Amino acid sequence: MNVKNRVVSILAPIASFLLIFAIWEAACRINEIPAWFLPMPSEIFKSMVVDFQDYWPHLLVTLQCVLIGFLIAIPVGLLIATLITSFPLLNAAMSPYITFLVTTPLISLIPLLMLAMGYGMNMRITTVVIQSFAVINMNACTGFNNVPTIRRELMQSVGASRFQTYRMMILPSAATDIITGLRLAAIFATTTCISVEYNAGNTGLGSQIIKYSQYLQTTQSFACIFYVTVIGLIMYGLIALFQKKIVSWQE
Amino acid sequence: MQTPKIKFDHVTKVFETRSQTIVAVKDYSMEIQAGEFISILGPSGCGKSTLIRMLDGIIDTTEGDIFIDGVKVNLGGKKKMPPEVLRKMGFIFQQPNMLPWYTVRENVALPLRVFGLKGKEWEDRVDELMKMVGLEEYANARPSEISGGMLQRAGVIRAMVHDPEILLMDEPFGALDELTREQMNMELLDIWQKTNKTIIFITHNIEEAVLLSSRVYVMGTNPGHLVETVTLDLPRPRELSMITQSKFIEYRQKLESYIGEIDLSKIK
Repeated sequence: MNVKNRVVSILAPIASFLLIFAIWEAACRINEIPAWFLPMPSEIFKSMVVDFQDYWPHLLVTLQCVLIGFLIAIPVGLLIATLITSFPLLNAAMSPYITFLVTTPLISLIPLLMLAMGYGMNMRITTVVIQSFAVINMNACTGFNNVPTIRRELMQSVGASRFQTYRMMILPSAATDIITGLRLAAIFATTTCISVEYNAGNTGLGSQIIKYSQYLQTTQSFACIFYVTVIGLIMYGLIALFQKKIVSWQE
Repeated sequence: MQTPKIKFDHVTKVFETRSQTIVAVKDYSMEIQAGEFISILGPSGCGKSTLIRMLDGIIDTTEGDIFIDGVKVNLGGKKKMPPEVLRKMGFIFQQPNMLPWYTVRENVALPLRVFGLKGKEWEDRVDELMKMVGLEEYANARPSEISGGMLQRAGVIRAMVHDPEILLMDEPFGALDELTREQMNMELLDIWQKTNKTIIFITHNIEEAVLLSSRVYVMGTNPGHLVETVTLDLPRPRELSMITQSKFIEYRQKLESYIGEIDLSKIK
């Protein structure tokens, strides 16, 4: 039964994937839909392989910006969450700004950041960090604040120091919320990076999507979009790996 | 006269919330000698849990003083109780309160880690205690993998692992089924007789209080206060069969009458 379940859980998504693309392909062929309007998936996959050399440098730029930005955002978000949940005064002083950062679409700040930092990777990474650390911070704060009282009492009853309490009890208690934050931040990071690339410079997958669209090369646009999906999957996989390692006790 | 192991001297605790002021414990005094097993009995909301939390430094006192071995331990305000005082006590919670990311053994050994007690003798002590309550096979299991009774046993030996002189038990078996509860009570008496620890046992179960302890402090609510102290003249070692004896029933009825006098309508 177990083996059967596992086989089914692997085969089912592959089957549905093939089915969707088969319907898409058939719809394009039967209705003779023009490629500039909706290209056939077979053509898109072909372009992803054949024109890989054209996409690769841009894929690399986007992946680097997303990944570096995300990896900087994690410690920044966690550190700020730790500080503001430990010191009520700091919390009162800072939480409006965190809310401000989460609720303001950073896309609206891109022109200003471009003015200050140019079109390069630094500016993109900065934008990714600002947009994604806030959501990591917010979720980590939720986790830190929702630690059960009885666990705090346990640590108090053995006279644990602030640091011991944090390391042995608070951080693991908040692990689930922190990982939720990471998931959201990964989405924020990719979205932000592509948005920046739409607006600034001529490198990165975002800039290529715009470029190909302008030339009605929809097949190539789609190829770039699929590569963005690949980046999303890489981020998702990294977090799943991290989750498995960190909160293995939850199974 | 012998210095009492634990002494509450006119202790009062007031909780201030945004909307109201709650007097949890009012003018509470008691003296407990070393090696005694006493119960604090009362309905929920009578402040009995607050009492042992003040003793263990989890909550500070508002007025009055608490002494352990004649030394004042409530330092007032946010001052933390020093580790050498905390080491004298082990706290057993109503829930097992295991940390799910540690194994059962790591949970039991947690106080050793925090108090910085290292070395073979302490490691051996962990294994000995695990063996004593039949947990040795589950040393590397996660808390989620063992039963409620097992977990509570782990909670009991965790409180004993740093060899405290005093055990503070906050309705420790209240969440267990009747059979497991009786079994745990007998195991606890066994442990107490072997180790000669001072035990403060919080409960709202009259039978449990009579079966286990030498003296019962009955508390009332609103504000939490001492109603009556009843000394139990029952032979030791105690047996489960005693609960049908006339003397046992007499004590039970006496305690019931005190609890009955507490105005239940005042409980919020």
